[in-house]
Amino acid sequence: MTDAIFVSKAGADRRRGLLDWLLILSLPLLMIAMELGVYAFEPRVLSLRNIVNVLNQSSYLVLFASAQMMVILTRGFDLSLGTTVSAISVASALVMTGLAAAGAPDFVLVAAGLIVGLGFGALVGLFNGFFVSWLGINPFVVTLGSLNICLGLATTISGGRPVFNVPDVFSLLFYNGVLIPGLSIPLMIAILVCLGLYFLLNHTVFGRSLYLIGNNPRAAYLAGLPSKRFLGLAYLACSLLAAFGALMLTARTGSGEPNLGGSLMLESIAAAVIGGVSLQGGVGGVGAVIMGTLFVTMLSNSMDLLEVGGYIQQILLGCVIIVAIFLDRLRLTRG
Amino acid sequence: MSSLDVHPAPSHRLYRAYARFGFLPTVLVILVVALALFVPRFLTVQNIFNVLRSSAYLVILSAGQMTVLIVGGFDLSVGAVVPLASVVSALVMVWAKGVAPDQTAIIVLLGVLAGIGSGLAVGLINGLSVAFLKVSPFIVTLGSLSIATGVALLLTNGIPVYGMPQAYVNGFGRGLWLQLPTAVYLAALIVALVWFIQNFTRMGRYLYAIGGNLQAATVSGVRTRTYLVLAYLFCSVLAAVSGLALTAQIGSGQAVISAQLTLESIAAAVIAGVSLKGGVGRVEMVTLAAFFLLILTDAMDLLKIDPRIQTIFLGCIVVLAVALDEVAKRRASVD
Amino acid sequence: MTIADPVQIGASRAAAAARDARPLLELSRVSKRFPGVTALDQVDFELRHGEVHVLFGENGAGKSTLINIIAGTYPPDEGAFTYQGEAVVHLTPHAARLLGISPVFQEFSLVPDLTVEQNLFLGRELSRSGVLDRSRMRTRALDLIKLLGFDLDPNRKVRDLSRAHQQMVEIAKAFLADVRLLILDEPTASLTEAEAAKLFALIAKLKASGVGIIYVSHRMREIKQIADRITVLRDGRKIATVEAGDVSENALVEMMTGRKIEVLFPRIEPRPGAKLLEVENLTLANHTVTDVSFYARAGEITGVAGLVGCGKSELVRAVYGLELIAAGIIRVGGAAVTNPSPATLLKQGLCYFPSDRVAEGLALGRSVRENASMTALDLPAYSRRGVLQRASERRAIQSIVERLKLRPPQIERAVANLSGGNRQKVLLARGLTRDIRVYLFDEPTVGIDVGAKAEVYDLMKDVLATGAAIVLVSSELPEVLHLSHRLYVMHRSRMVAELTGSDINEQQVLSHFFREDAAGRAAPASSGGR
Repeated sequence: MTDAIFVSKAGADRRRGLLDWLLILSLPLLMIAMELGVYAFEPRVLSLRNIVNVLNQSSYLVLFASAQMMVILTRGFDLSLGTTVSAISVASALVMTGLAAAGAPDFVLVAAGLIVGLGFGALVGLFNGFFVSWLGINPFVVTLGSLNICLGLATTISGGRPVFNVPDVFSLLFYNGVLIPGLSIPLMIAILVCLGLYFLLNHTVFGRSLYLIGNNPRAAYLAGLPSKRFLGLAYLACSLLAAFGALMLTARTGSGEPNLGGSLMLESIAAAVIGGVSLQGGVGGVGAVIMGTLFVTMLSNSMDLLEVGGYIQQILLGCVIIVAIFLDRLRLTRG
Repeated sequence: MSSLDVHPAPSHRLYRAYARFGFLPTVLVILVVALALFVPRFLTVQNIFNVLRSSAYLVILSAGQMTVLIVGGFDLSVGAVVPLASVVSALVMVWAKGVAPDQTAIIVLLGVLAGIGSGLAVGLINGLSVAFLKVSPFIVTLGSLSIATGVALLLTNGIPVYGMPQAYVNGFGRGLWLQLPTAVYLAALIVALVWFIQNFTRMGRYLYAIGGNLQAATVSGVRTRTYLVLAYLFCSVLAAVSGLALTAQIGSGQAVISAQLTLESIAAAVIAGVSLKGGVGRVEMVTLAAFFLLILTDAMDLLKIDPRIQTIFLGCIVVLAVALDEVAKRRASVD
Repeated sequence: MTIADPVQIGASRAAAAARDARPLLELSRVSKRFPGVTALDQVDFELRHGEVHVLFGENGAGKSTLINIIAGTYPPDEGAFTYQGEAVVHLTPHAARLLGISPVFQEFSLVPDLTVEQNLFLGRELSRSGVLDRSRMRTRALDLIKLLGFDLDPNRKVRDLSRAHQQMVEIAKAFLADVRLLILDEPTASLTEAEAAKLFALIAKLKASGVGIIYVSHRMREIKQIADRITVLRDGRKIATVEAGDVSENALVEMMTGRKIEVLFPRIEPRPGAKLLEVENLTLANHTVTDVSFYARAGEITGVAGLVGCGKSELVRAVYGLELIAAGIIRVGGAAVTNPSPATLLKQGLCYFPSDRVAEGLALGRSVRENASMTALDLPAYSRRGVLQRASERRAIQSIVERLKLRPPQIERAVANLSGGNRQKVLLARGLTRDIRVYLFDEPTVGIDVGAKAEVYDLMKDVLATGAAIVLVSSELPEVLHLSHRLYVMHRSRMVAELTGSDINEQQVLSHFFREDAAGRAAPASSGGR
């Protein structure tokens, strides 16, 4: 090891060593290596079609991972994300099919679906945010509670069965319509959301405050930042992003699914953490989330192409999560 | 905070009594009395029998979870260790039965050892990662949750494993001693053991010290890493024991048991006043909390409340229990 | 382990060892670096049997790093460690205790949710075949407490004790062991004189029996009383080791600060103006401050002195809305503040600079720029309608940082990479990002080097000239004595004196520190017993 380089003297700037660069570039390098490795066995992995496919698949997870990032930045996390997605999918589908059966015009259907979905997301976000920021309760407990509540709601209102016949116009608008040729709507939305989030995190007081609160909540409070309000807003933003993702997924499946969010909680946290959003708070960004999402999606895409069984995929995902957190640890102690 | 006047005021003493026992016993008594009065089937032998048996598994699981919470961590993987131990023990027994069909004692012993071994393996991964790599327990156990679930499914393809010795299933799993299910004795034994450890051994005291003030424990010469690993090992082994008992009762190795086990174990611990910050928690309270949760579930079953709505109810209870606790503590600190 | 009287055991062992001419402990060329700081630089240190060796230096001079290395908390980066003539490597806290090294830290190594007794025995519980021997531990704890003459109840949770009593537990913990080398880090900081006297008697007993004692203290009086030799540290380097009898007080202070006292503390002429901060009859919910009134005027440094735990820090924290107030009135610029919180007080031109910069002041992982502008994000120069004005922010912070002589003046570096002095400058930059009229400094020079110290004092002079008011809370006596124009003294949660002019001197202040009048006895903390 080249430890001598890393010994820092007071005031002197540290030079980045080889290992640091490797750590920083570990994820992109790993992705390239993985794709090339798979290419040796299955050339389709680098076909244009597959790459487009991976990008389209990523556009959902990137929303959920960004949602998760908003709260991880503040040292929290949202366990309820998966079941929130399920509940929103079912609720919005029920409203839209109900209105469609009553013969309401298309724009009313879509508006109602959006309002119900986002409204529900806002409620969950406010619930989580209220208990976490105003009562100071551990986010783990709070979101564990809302996980159960949303799970119960999703299965109760749907009777446990999928809600079919979501109006085509909804799917057209959020899934298979063509606005710009060659660019699917989900991908377009994902890009827009990422740009928006980038602005939010880097150019607004709210975004800056999230980093400061996550880095040192006590210092942020002493500096007069409205910590409680921003913390609550972070949970609201998280649930709203999740709600939006839920609506897009509903548009894709064309039905409201009570199990839609099944593995999303785990995947969203995994993608964010793998990308480098630190659970210690205050570290991360849109770029990290995109990288993490791409990695997770590419991994499962490659394994699908290689016809690796779902169970082994699950085991591998677990291993990847542990390795990622270990790398994160290394990065923190080095940096 | 150094308070200069700590002569115990009456309100203070009241709070200390509260801090020691909390609302829980009161609420539990009220619940039982109310159910006995208003729900006729509640006091039947069969019902009490059922509640006791289902509580036994949760008590064992929660006692383990509590141990990890006391050292300031938590273990999401218990919900996967239960099915893993179930599958591994069943497979080993079936294999051993094929090799030596008559040696029931040896078959069972091998199966039990293998099941506990699988728990040890998961606990070791968790413990070593947390203690030596110093990574977040949340993410490590999330990873091992994924891995353990994947392995259990991979071993069985999700198909139940039948063919365990009848003596194990009928003698132990479904057996009765003095009219009570064997699992109840097992749970009682484990609670007594944990109680003894917490109150009368070095290990118990060190676990509290590590969770209460890691730095202090270290400078006082406590081998903190060793005990951290032990806490995670202990938790996983108890989860494996719970899985073994459950397997014996069901009569087959199951890779898919209940997705809610982890959440329930944490819920029981949290309701029992175990602090997620570490350093606080007692096994007798956790036992009561597990009873409380299952009596509540049982009551809702008897009252024919839809299990889906029960989920919502449980979510609310978890959040409210912690919120009440938090508010009470704040009151006490203001007084 | 079966000791009835730890002193006795220490005695026999150490007496045997004392015949040995070798020193008990020898450190040579020991260095320790932390990210951003060199805490110890090639330090030699020697402790003889039966000697009280005082470590003297400012906060951040390296004293605590040195005692932590001796106690095994962390290993030195380089240098040799010899104990009783044998080289020691890979020392852990556990191993150190086995060797008879007992530290008493200032930051308590106590677990708040365990009882006094459980804390005393933490790490060396008595047991019989694996089962804790509670009754023997109880007897032993009671014996020890009696021997030390402390007023402690072994059953109480440490969380419920006052700071003074926690200090006693910490000391008792060290005496429980079979001690050969005792480290005491400002043990008297929150003890009364009577309690301190008992401690000194014990030290004398241990010393006579050959135990080596490392004693960290700032207080000249007690150094004179007990020291055999004194080692002075400054900025991580050893300045000198001197015989206690050979050195004057002024010489020590000059060794400690590296310059003549008159040069270190700038001469600041007071120009008292309006009362910008008035506090009347303030009492906190936890009674760390009881019925305190004081005021701070523009153009004047108002000092607040007192022992650790006397409530002086809580007083200014309460003004900034960080403590729960039970009664009292706070006026800033003449207007009463009803519900003090950092956000509202900053808007009224009052800013508090916390003593614990890592825990409460800075977001270490973020840049100098973000840390400096944190308090001012609501101003139009920094944000409009919630959108950051990054260019104007950069310009503003750059110029402030240059004015404060941050070295190097780079605003995009993470604060974690800065030295203590530079970190404090980043914190102080906040006072310049917006119009601050009242500065509350809580131990402003803790852990920073002498050069930075002088610059902090210069900054105080500058802001005073603009007509601001400064409240200076400090445990460093020379600092409050030399800088304050008016000096308040707090004792056991109450304001006991207001000194002006030539009354601001060490004699006066110390006499108030240690007064043990009836009022003082009534308020204090918690009788552990009963």
